[in-house]
Amino acid sequence: MITLLKYEIYRRWRWLVLRYAALIIIGAILLNRVSSPTYQYEFIGESIGKFALTSLIIFIIIIVEGINMLKEDLFEESGYLTFTIPKKGRTILASKLALLLLQLILWTVITIGFGSIFFSKLPYPEIIQIKTQINFYFFPTVLFILTAFFNFVLMIHFSLTLTKTLLVNKRYSGILSIGIFFFLVYLIEKLYYGPFLNQIKHISIEIGSRSNIDLLSGGYTAVFLNIILTAIFFTATAYLLEKKINI
Amino acid sequence: MEQILKSSQLSKYFYQKKALDKVDINIEEGKIYGILGPNGGGKSTFLKIAAGLLKPSQGEITIDNKKPGVYTKSIVSYLPETNYLYKWMKIKDTLNFFNDLYADFDVERARESLKFMELEEEEKVTSLSKGMMGRLKLTLALSRKSKVYLLDEPLNGIDPISREKIITSILDSYSERTSILICSHLIYYIEKLLDYVFFLSEGRIILSGDAEELRNKRGMSIDKLFQEVF
Amino acid sequence: MEFNNNIPIYLQIIDNIKQDIVVGKLKAGQKMPSVRELAGILKVNPNTIQRVYQELDREKITFTKRGMGTYVTEEEKTISSLKEEISKKIILDFVEGMNKLGFSNKELISTLKEYL
Repeated sequence: MITLLKYEIYRRWRWLVLRYAALIIIGAILLNRVSSPTYQYEFIGESIGKFALTSLIIFIIIIVEGINMLKEDLFEESGYLTFTIPKKGRTILASKLALLLLQLILWTVITIGFGSIFFSKLPYPEIIQIKTQINFYFFPTVLFILTAFFNFVLMIHFSLTLTKTLLVNKRYSGILSIGIFFFLVYLIEKLYYGPFLNQIKHISIEIGSRSNIDLLSGGYTAVFLNIILTAIFFTATAYLLEKKINI
Repeated sequence: MEQILKSSQLSKYFYQKKALDKVDINIEEGKIYGILGPNGGGKSTFLKIAAGLLKPSQGEITIDNKKPGVYTKSIVSYLPETNYLYKWMKIKDTLNFFNDLYADFDVERARESLKFMELEEEEKVTSLSKGMMGRLKLTLALSRKSKVYLLDEPLNGIDPISREKIITSILDSYSERTSILICSHLIYYIEKLLDYVFFLSEGRIILSGDAEELRNKRGMSIDKLFQEVF
Repeated sequence: MEFNNNIPIYLQIIDNIKQDIVVGKLKAGQKMPSVRELAGILKVNPNTIQRVYQELDREKITFTKRGMGTYVTEEEKTISSLKEEISKKIILDFVEGMNKLGFSNKELISTLKEYL
């Protein structure tokens, strides 16, 4: 896994450096402006917005890249190399997901780091207000978003791999992949998240423990459900990659 | 002699089309085989199944008594017809990659082969001409000390000078412990290399035999025989 | 060496080696190239060369010392009979060819004389 991860990083290390350097430099410039004594509070929002936009763009790049890492190997000639090296399907998949995970973590640390400094520059009453709202939900929400997007990429990986198992013809593979993906989203919502979350909410309301409800609506349960889903899709995709696909 | 690769009743369907139809091929150690046939006859499909890229629809293939998988990939060196090398790579990256991922890769042999093939390590994979690409692919495939080599059209689109070099390299990497399978429709240039030939057309083996015996019996070259059959 | 692929390659190589021995290009007792070497030089399958050496050994034109290699025979008799065999073959081919063209044996001799 590490060897393959090394090559995934090595092939795009310039882009990786560029990406995070850009985020940090833009953050630093905006922060520097905000920190100057002549800067007025009304404009802090604008700087935060600019930083958030940069961060969002880089987040999208990470996600798209995460999808493409496997898509290239499945649908382009490079698959002839990737899938003839003596490595298990799960190793190949894990090396790609490991890079995605590393990037998501790095992105989160940088974004939250800058975000919290920006917030500390806000007028005192607003900080208090945001803080009381954030404190309860902050970490589960961040974890939920990260695991959700990780699963989003992994589910697309699964859809693409299943397409490659079912279809040899390239022409309809796009449509089929998208079809499979949305069908999965529908199924998961209907059969997995829906019943689980409802039931758990129901139970905890009956128990009447307030902290419990907070915890649940804060999303640790959803995070937990996400991680189980990750395990399921990882296993399924790795199996298909190893045993079923036709390159 | 020991059989290293066996296929029995191997079939592969793409929808209605039969790319391979009940193919029985047995490959012994220490011999060079030719799978010959027109384009679309099923040659590449056979090699892709042996390499583990395609899964059989019916029948079975085993290499060293194992179905295609991680183990067989470690003892099979596959040269595809496509430009399968990652586009971001320089030639030296391809060497490092193969060295990291294949236990049987011999870097020294690869470096020597690069010199012989007149290729520079700093050159980018995407900037290579077709002949150079063919020579690089062959260098990588033959610098592994594998039990089985699967070479898909090693001479296709290759200029005469590269062709000589490629044939020399194939001969150099042969040993009594290896088996080489060459798929080609350019029979004239490789027929002297072959111990045994299979003619594959529309997914079926329509003729097979020892190359010298076929020449003797039919009084013609494999190339001429091929033209007569197809 | 140029091959005529219509005829088994090992037979052509055998003929070639025999000729080399007769004309003295390969001397009595001389070591032959190894199977790999010769395969590399002629760009043919090593198993074909293996077969050539087996056949030559069988005809006692060469002999193989275990682990040492293959050598041209030292028997002068074998070499001279080889010479006879080849010349016979050439003459037979010639006579047969001329006969096919309609030359009588007398005509054949007189025509041949013009070239000598």
